Amino acid sequence: MPQSKRLCLIGLDGVPEGLLRGLASDGVMPRVAERIAGGHLRTMRASLPEISSVSWSSFMTGTGPGEHGIYGFTDIEPQSYELTFPNFADVRVPTLWDRLGSRGVTSVVVNQPATYPARSIPGVMVSGFVALDLSRSVKPLRWLGPLRRLNYRIDIDTARSRQDHDWLMRDLRQTLRTRREAVMQLWDQVDWRFLQVVVTGTDRLYHYLWDAVEDVGHPRHQQALDYHHDVDTFVGDIWDRFAAEETAPESCFWMLSDHGFCAIRQEVQLNAALKELGYLTLGAEAPTDLTSIDPTSRAFALDPGRIYLNRTGRFGRGCVIDAEVPALKSEITDALKQLRYDGQPVVREVFDAANIYGQGPCTERGPDLVALAIPGFDLKASPATSEVFGRTDLVGMHTYDDAFLLAPRPIEGDLWIGDIATHLEREYDE
Amino acid sequence: MKGFTLWFTGLSGSGKSTLATALEGVLLDRGLQVEILDGDEVRTNLSKGLGFSKEDRDTNIRRIGYVCNMLSRNGVTAISAAISPYRAIRDEVRGSIENFVEVYTRCSIEELARRDPKGLYKRALAGEIPNFTGVSDPYEEPVNPEIVCDTEKDTLEQSLERVVRSLELMGYIPPGEDDHTSPEQEQAIRARLESLGYL
Repeated sequence: MPQSKRLCLIGLDGVPEGLLRGLASDGVMPRVAERIAGGHLRTMRASLPEISSVSWSSFMTGTGPGEHGIYGFTDIEPQSYELTFPNFADVRVPTLWDRLGSRGVTSVVVNQPATYPARSIPGVMVSGFVALDLSRSVKPLRWLGPLRRLNYRIDIDTARSRQDHDWLMRDLRQTLRTRREAVMQLWDQVDWRFLQVVVTGTDRLYHYLWDAVEDVGHPRHQQALDYHHDVDTFVGDIWDRFAAEETAPESCFWMLSDHGFCAIRQEVQLNAALKELGYLTLGAEAPTDLTSIDPTSRAFALDPGRIYLNRTGRFGRGCVIDAEVPALKSEITDALKQLRYDGQPVVREVFDAANIYGQGPCTERGPDLVALAIPGFDLKASPATSEVFGRTDLVGMHTYDDAFLLAPRPIEGDLWIGDIATHLEREYDE
Repeated sequence: MKGFTLWFTGLSGSGKSTLATALEGVLLDRGLQVEILDGDEVRTNLSKGLGFSKEDRDTNIRRIGYVCNMLSRNGVTAISAAISPYRAIRDEVRGSIENFVEVYTRCSIEELARRDPKGLYKRALAGEIPNFTGVSDPYEEPVNPEIVCDTEKDTLEQSLERVVRSLELMGYIPPGEDDHTSPEQEQAIRARLESLGYL
């Protein structure tokens, strides 16, 4: 029996509170239902924008993008306008596991998105999405061999799974199985006091088959439920192991998601909208990126809803001077709020970055505005398309304010994912 | 890069010199100028003749601090790896150096006595070595060090990365090559993101 207090946390990427509650009460996720009965389930806000790299970075640092520096899966090189791909080294503040380590708490972290390439923490780190190479995803490296022997899978083959849903369902299960084996092995062999694992298969399933989750008549509905049942078993196994070793396991067991999900009605291409509105001109005939941006362009977008003013002093071909910024922000905000599909508005809110990110050390690297869509309208920023509205084969999109938190005690009031680290650290004060 | 002083403190055998030496390689590789002032070595030259009374220990630390200050204000990374057991003198040195980073190598006496490759703790606990820090002389833990390395639990690799990462976050050293993404990896990341509809 461990002598010191231990905490266990399971992340379910992309699972909305309402879905979790429903699947628990319907009997699809009975082990989760037990945990809900023993804890406090509530909704929680994701980050802005509401995507995994930003939300999980906020979770693991307890700060927002203005401080941790991660605004999305992509950033832009200010001179060339080429896309760049920020990684864990760009996270500019210590993580929860660093801070716990300063207090003598050893962590085991498995499949945490936005931690690639892995770096040493006080404990063991196994990086998650967009981790590519297992050898750069594991610290300390002595765990690489054992994980390889388990045929540990970082993620499913997303490219193939998008095309082949039979493959998707098999790959989801296989990946979950190796995840479970890795967690159990590390559980046994590391003297940990904080253990967390994130299941990312849920997010993958929802991107490709959200309709199967929602629609009882969908041919893959039962498969979607079966996967949730597998995830439920995964949660139950971890709980059983934890409960067998701890004297008060209910008080130390947490679950959460990083954002919610809903069905896509239309994809909304913000760069196409900015082109139509006269804010953006790309020189290339068939642009694949923003490198051909015309110096008269006043704004451009990065996925999903990040709007950047093309400012002088910040961007190589910038034309917007500081004095124009307030009026331009207001103008673009109004224009985006006026966007209509079939007579219905598509943008729920356009946030001024200065209001949501504050004055952190990384504020200057962020967007000027962040658009949040009405659920069903999936904001995109492909420079390639000239159509504002359209559909692809993707069926699920992220949502902002229906992530879930299942905590051992009630946490009242407004809550966003960046608040959780503080609550977890406080558990070790006692 | 601006110079700074990295001040290791911790009991004998807690890993200060080992960590300082490992760190030196990383910092040199990143283009920094580095000097290590190792506690044992300093006592054979700069502080030759000083004993282990509190007064002599304080004098030793002041001298090391003086040299660290000269080095770091001229753009050099000065690394002190001495026990420096007394909080007041450490804080005095901190106050005299502009860019000062304290690293506490934390390890319990029990663990150090268990390791004890030179048999020093065994002899000190038997009363054969007077003024032995942590046994017959006090060690005052730092109250708020910039970095803590739990050398009782963590490997050298983990402690080293912890110090390196902290120095990167503080802006004292540039990021390492391992953190960069190659063009091939960027293509692979792009493909992953596209498959989930992010690009």
